[in-house]
Amino acid sequence: MGTLETMKDIFNNPNKIIEEWKKDGKKVVGHRCMYVPEEIIHAAGMLPYPTFGTPEPIKKADSYFQPCACEFVRNLFDLALDKKFGFLDSMVLCNTCDAVRHLYNMWDTYVDSVPCYMVNNPQKMYDESGFKFYRMELEKFKKLMEDLSGNKITDESLKKSIELYDETRRLLKELNDLRKRDIPAISGSEFLRTSMASMLMPKENANPLLRKLIDEVKNREIKNADGPRILLTGSIIDNPTLIELVEDMGGVVVVDDLCTSAKYFWYTTKPNNDPMDAIVRFNLERTLCACAHPSEDRYDYLQGLIREFNIDGIIYFNIKYCHPFVYESAIFRKKLEEEVPTLTLEVDHSLSGLGQLKTRVQAFIEML
Amino acid sequence: MATKVTAPGKKSLQTTLEIGKAIRAYYGGIKEAQKAGKPVIWSYGLVPREIFHAADAPVIYLEHLPLMIGAKQLSGHYIQIAEEEGFSRDVCAFHRCFLGCAVAKERDPYLEKFFAPPNLIIASNLPCMSESKSFLYAADHHDCPYYFLDAPINTWGKDIPEYAIEYFAGQLKGAIDSMEEHGFKVDMDKLKESINLTKKMMGLWNEIDNCRKTVPTPMSTVDGITAAYPLIQLPGTELGVTLFERLLEELKERVEKKQGVIEDEKLRLMWFGVPPFYNMGLFNYVEKYGAVVVKSMVEYIAGGAFDPSVMDPEKPLESLAYKALVDIVNPTYTNMVDFIVKAVEDFKIDGLIGVVKRSCGLLPGYMRLAKDAVYNGSGVPMTIFDLDGLDIREYDDVTSKANLDSFVESLLANKRRQ
Repeated sequence: MGTLETMKDIFNNPNKIIEEWKKDGKKVVGHRCMYVPEEIIHAAGMLPYPTFGTPEPIKKADSYFQPCACEFVRNLFDLALDKKFGFLDSMVLCNTCDAVRHLYNMWDTYVDSVPCYMVNNPQKMYDESGFKFYRMELEKFKKLMEDLSGNKITDESLKKSIELYDETRRLLKELNDLRKRDIPAISGSEFLRTSMASMLMPKENANPLLRKLIDEVKNREIKNADGPRILLTGSIIDNPTLIELVEDMGGVVVVDDLCTSAKYFWYTTKPNNDPMDAIVRFNLERTLCACAHPSEDRYDYLQGLIREFNIDGIIYFNIKYCHPFVYESAIFRKKLEEEVPTLTLEVDHSLSGLGQLKTRVQAFIEML
Repeated sequence: MATKVTAPGKKSLQTTLEIGKAIRAYYGGIKEAQKAGKPVIWSYGLVPREIFHAADAPVIYLEHLPLMIGAKQLSGHYIQIAEEEGFSRDVCAFHRCFLGCAVAKERDPYLEKFFAPPNLIIASNLPCMSESKSFLYAADHHDCPYYFLDAPINTWGKDIPEYAIEYFAGQLKGAIDSMEEHGFKVDMDKLKESINLTKKMMGLWNEIDNCRKTVPTPMSTVDGITAAYPLIQLPGTELGVTLFERLLEELKERVEKKQGVIEDEKLRLMWFGVPPFYNMGLFNYVEKYGAVVVKSMVEYIAGGAFDPSVMDPEKPLESLAYKALVDIVNPTYTNMVDFIVKAVEDFKIDGLIGVVKRSCGLLPGYMRLAKDAVYNGSGVPMTIFDLDGLDIREYDDVTSKANLDSFVESLLANKRRQ
């Protein structure tokens, strides 16, 4: 089996990772959103596990959340109520949007089997007083992780975890760079599976696989690469179906600014003798999520992607009721359209209404 | 103006009519002030307003202007304008309405009386984090400076840690610096005085509440929502204190005479969610059953639900930070749920009406939590149905009234059984 297939298999069967990890009695900490520092969880000897949804229809969660709450969040809560996250020893959320805040409220009240914790992060980037606030919150979080694992987190162990995670980010970026070519070495859907598998895996396993994969695909050329080059952005996409839909319509997805892709690996930490400070600055010296301020930063970053990846068109996939990205797409739309055509689509996380989406994507690709 | 099915709320108190006049006078004054060369700020209703009063700054609040527009049934028009600019129906109707007002090429005479373009925008994520960027669009449109005031989510209940107070107080200092940079002079002595006045206002509000707890209630939420206006716009002002003093006096008189809002009060209700600003008469609708909507949760937004003794004039920014961070809508549920449970007990509420504004990312999330906490605590039931309090295009009169009918009838039947 080639490494791309291995990654696909891991993506399709993440339970194997958990089983393997838990064999020795080690703990797993689930999390959602980018301001939860995985390095701290790892340094305590536990597996940070990014929680994703499923395209299954929501069953129990709709009697807790109103249907106007973000469907991704409702889906996660549904899985929690259904004990699908029963393997987690704890769940950690952070301060990214009102829907996630309410996920914390609901989880804390109604899910007894897995305790939930919220890391409080500022929404304002580049602010020294925010760094100080976040540092205090992270110190509390570090203590919590030490107590949960029974392991002391030292500066040395944290530095090692940071280096390990930075290496994953560097490797994913190196792999992503192979999509800059006129004919990319890896398709958008293949990349998303690989990226998500790498996020799920212990990084000690992910990094060698990523090195092997880069080696395997560096001279590869994907088929059907003569269509318009697409930048995907918007809410979390945790299912390659949407990317496949664009590819089936003739688009070549060459970069995806998603929580499950570029947002995860675009930056690495800066050298810093104080590892906690390195984490604080890593998260607060960039504006990668639509929830964060200032927005100019994110706009510059998107502009950079347009140039670097020679983009012909942008597609915003906004999950219904994902307010931060709905605002961002409306605010950026006019400016982005001066650079390249931009299509904004509201999608259901459960991927209902794919036929309609297909028509709109097809029309957009044809227009390009 | 009202359609055939909607009606303005019938107020029963003299002071709330005066407060209504004060609102119009305040907004009318903003335009005049700008004409006279004073810069105007646009901000959110939970940004501590005392810093604006300390600079004598005219401010238009994002939450407040739309509800005035809504009361005149004009909100749909401006919401439509924002939608044409690309803002989806999924995002808050208040923000869409304000953005529509902000970018409209033509404004109707009513809005024109109050509308003044911004010279500075102070935005915040308090209370709605997911909507915190809407003002960016307005800032871009009006080419005006923008300051973002970042408030941490309250994960601590009422014991806010020092570092969180310090962070938010620092953000407030940043807002003051930004104001000074753009033509305002913030008088710190006046700010201290404002803290004193706010403290006084909150004490008076608690006394007003005590009057409303009596049976029959001397004041329903139709008056209460207007009465809460000074909490939103006038904290830290002499006018706010005066209005509350008059209101308290009027209520005490009614309590003494045992004069209720309706003659034979059978049921006491509480409203949870955004009130129907274009149809406040819906509150009066239940009176035919002998029911009174005694309180509305929104009356407590903007700092009306906690002990005023924490306000220390010697620490003005820290006091304001604490007040803002413990506000019931700062989304960790404990403060909100505790407050609702206590309010249901204190106001002797028989039933809770929860309305869901589908474009709201914040309040609907509390519905189930409030329903369970109240029912488990005191056995008081809650009904929940869809009702967008601002966007009249979403309003369904028949369904809303049918929901109220069946809920009230079931409460009355329960009472009869008891």
